[in-house]
Amino acid sequence: MSEDYNDNKTIQAQSSETISGSGSGVSPDIDYVRPAEIPEQDLYHGHSFITKWVFCQDAKVIGVQYFLLATFTGIIGLILSWLMRLQLGFPELASFMTAEHYYQFVTMHGMIMVVYFLTALFLGGFGNFLIPLMVGARDMVFPYLNMVSFWMFFIAVGVLLASFFVPGGPTGSGWTLYPPQAILEGTPGSGMGIMLMCISLILFVAGFTMGGLNYLITVLQARTRGMTLMRMPLTVWGIFTATVLAMLAFPALLVGALMMSLDNILGTSFFMPTILKAGEVLEYGGGSPILFQHLFWFFGHPEVYIVALPAFGIISDLISVHARKNIFGYRMMVWAIVGIGALSFFVWAHHMYVSGMNPWFGFFFATTTLIIAVPTAMKVYNWILTLWRGNIRLNTVMLWCLGFIVTFVNGGITGIFLGNVTVDVPLSDTYFVIAHFHMVMGIAPLMVIMGAVYHWFPLVAGRFLDEKLGKWHFWLTFLGAYSIYFPMHYLGFIGVPRRYFEMYDSPYMTSAVGMNEFISMAAFIVGAAQFILIYNIIRALKIGKPSGHNPWKACSLEWLTPSVPPEHGNWGERLPVVHRWAYDYSVPGAKEDFITQTTPPSDVANTEVEKT
Amino acid sequence: MSDPKIEGYEFKPGFKGMAQDTGSDQTMFKGVHWGKAMMWIFLLSDTFIFSCFLISYMKGRGSTLIDWPNPSEVFGLHVFGVDVPLLLIAIMTFVLITSSGTMALAVKYGYEKNKKMCGWLILATAIGGLTFVGMQAFEWSKLIHEGVRPWENPFGAPQFGSFFFMITGFHGTHVSIGVIFLFIYAYKTFKGHYDEGKRGWFTSIKGDYVEIEILGLYWHFVDLVWVFIFAFFYLW
Amino acid sequence: MSEIKKQEQTTTHKIGIYLWIWGLLFVLSFFSYMVDWYQFQGLLRWSLILLFMFLKAGLIMAFFMHLFWERYALVNVLLWPMTAIGCFIFLMVAEFEYTVFTRLFYFVVGG
Repeated sequence: MSEDYNDNKTIQAQSSETISGSGSGVSPDIDYVRPAEIPEQDLYHGHSFITKWVFCQDAKVIGVQYFLLATFTGIIGLILSWLMRLQLGFPELASFMTAEHYYQFVTMHGMIMVVYFLTALFLGGFGNFLIPLMVGARDMVFPYLNMVSFWMFFIAVGVLLASFFVPGGPTGSGWTLYPPQAILEGTPGSGMGIMLMCISLILFVAGFTMGGLNYLITVLQARTRGMTLMRMPLTVWGIFTATVLAMLAFPALLVGALMMSLDNILGTSFFMPTILKAGEVLEYGGGSPILFQHLFWFFGHPEVYIVALPAFGIISDLISVHARKNIFGYRMMVWAIVGIGALSFFVWAHHMYVSGMNPWFGFFFATTTLIIAVPTAMKVYNWILTLWRGNIRLNTVMLWCLGFIVTFVNGGITGIFLGNVTVDVPLSDTYFVIAHFHMVMGIAPLMVIMGAVYHWFPLVAGRFLDEKLGKWHFWLTFLGAYSIYFPMHYLGFIGVPRRYFEMYDSPYMTSAVGMNEFISMAAFIVGAAQFILIYNIIRALKIGKPSGHNPWKACSLEWLTPSVPPEHGNWGERLPVVHRWAYDYSVPGAKEDFITQTTPPSDVANTEVEKT
Repeated sequence: MSDPKIEGYEFKPGFKGMAQDTGSDQTMFKGVHWGKAMMWIFLLSDTFIFSCFLISYMKGRGSTLIDWPNPSEVFGLHVFGVDVPLLLIAIMTFVLITSSGTMALAVKYGYEKNKKMCGWLILATAIGGLTFVGMQAFEWSKLIHEGVRPWENPFGAPQFGSFFFMITGFHGTHVSIGVIFLFIYAYKTFKGHYDEGKRGWFTSIKGDYVEIEILGLYWHFVDLVWVFIFAFFYLW
Repeated sequence: MSEIKKQEQTTTHKIGIYLWIWGLLFVLSFFSYMVDWYQFQGLLRWSLILLFMFLKAGLIMAFFMHLFWERYALVNVLLWPMTAIGCFIFLMVAEFEYTVFTRLFYFVVGG
């Protein structure tokens, strides 16, 4: 087997004698791709407005729907973060906020951003739009299920937002929803709020399962001729692996949410120990709060990679296209994605070092956590080596990519601190943790999303986004995000605890006040800067420069559709046939600096292409 | 089933074949219908759900300081003046395995395009499933009658009731959904939807006997879960 | 929508295989019931329960769900994720033992 798989050396596609001829000597055999084994997919074409744009079965439209709804919830999360920063930086201006409000905002901000914004946007948005195009399928394999998936997500968001309007408001137990406090009186939203949160999560998981099955089967069973797994763009690899993680990790969340709902409604004691409240013993008893933490983080840690892996994949493609160089170590990148995905199921309790779990676990989980740093670091080196001596175009997309690498390295290194038990114990529940995870799974994936939007907007709309606005957007976001989260590391080091409504009479009351004001100001500016993108999109839809076919001169399939933007069915009459990987940039001897995936070998016989 | 024939693709056996299938273009599971692949992945996800339930149960049962009730007595029946341990559960297991067997045969006859046999066997499976759900309802009402509640029970640790109702309830929901689909599929089989390739009501996918196998996978999975619940909940 | 090319003759298995497996499942279920009937305890009970459970699960998966005849590519994909479950089980066993220890230590012994 190994000979078949490691044969990645550069080869001469044809021996020099054959090429020296007029080209007629090139045997057509090298262009042979075995015939299709799957018959054509027959698609349901919508005719009315409703079937075309609302209950649409076209994965591209569903992707855009996911994108818009996720962005909408993301903006709500952004506004919540503004309110939190207002309280922390300028409490005198936030007199309308009580501590309960603050906790509710913390909770909803966290849950919205992680699950309803990033997960939905990467997998639902980019996954739906890009997977069929990139693997050369006409659509997702189960279009109807795909549509239901989006509308389940829609309902889940509706239920989540409804919790703002029920008595008691949304839950305020922190995004981790730890029992017992999540469902005990005294925590904001302990009745209706937490119930709606659980219902919303269950709906999200159900909806996501439908979508996830689609993504997986499309990648595994519906690729076009010639498209092997090892020729897929890394974007697809990232989204695919993240979906696998989601399919296996969300069950734990579902079970946790279900059991907590039962504790809440029926008064079972899955997670509830004997509790003494104001001198009275509550009727709960014998449950294990730490079980919820295990279930939650068995979901929660893969969730981090559900957000990160698509980002890894997308960034690899963007860097490769805009540095005009093949991705360094493609196979290594793929195996790193798969390896990170697999390992992510064995590291969850590093979120629980101070929870009172079995103390031996610290050893196990610190070890696995540090092992997972190896493939991650490999990826970072490979991105840098891809840039190395590349023909870098310093456009907006590339700026976002560079911003991502810097931010990700920063957040990753603080992750090494927190992965070690002895370092984590003093740092846990301080602003250092906040800074770490916002850097690594907040800002970094967000940078990728922005880069991806600037990159693929021409494909969706047929027009470019404005570069000047884009650069303003980038620099404000990048510098602003650093102004927010860099000082937070320091706040963490001096011990400022997270999730505190205010600092009362602690020493941080005076020492951290200036820094908190600065961070809040930066947060307002960065948040506002995001609206530049929205303006840019609206502007580009009206007066943007038409992009035409394949504006970035990319190799991958999504740019090679007969019409831009692609129609329902994507490929017109004939499905594309793939002859190579998606990264043949700047191949020596080629006419242009890119060779598309559909170019047959006989067309580029005199070049030094990699055998893939 | 046995290897399908695919033009231009030579199957290799064993792990060599696995490597070749994985590395080939178009599909990774050669000759596997999309819906069947989807059902397998879904069942994998569902396995994680039930595993999480059972792991929670293990953690809950293992760490409680109050004695766990003896399931052999709690689920025993008093028939003809004799106490038989776990009698009802044994019958339920028997019923579910029976229905699993009829389902397996239905799949076989489906592939042989034997509409009649296939339809009747699906119907038999559905009735077996219905019997199972009915007996579970009887078991629940018996326990509730004896004072077992999700939040308490007279025999010992309150978690016993919680986990019992949750896990068997979740499994019972799976069975019930399966029964509904079995009836629908029996109707569709008798109507000949799979012979004519009639399109589905919602999905507009053309009917094919492979759908029987997909449903069969689900049904066997439900049986499979019961094997684990039987071992861990009733026998432990 | 998604018809894989229909093979001219779908090969099915002889009915005898299904009946055999069916019978075996009944026998195994009977055995595992007998474990309870004779009230075996301790390690013997555990190993018998697990043995019969895995045999039954294996038979159902291999023959009723046709996994025995599927290509390794599918089997492999389905079985690997179980390692995560295995790890989860293993760690939760350690966890409940520790929980019991702390509970006994603080509630019964009294710290």
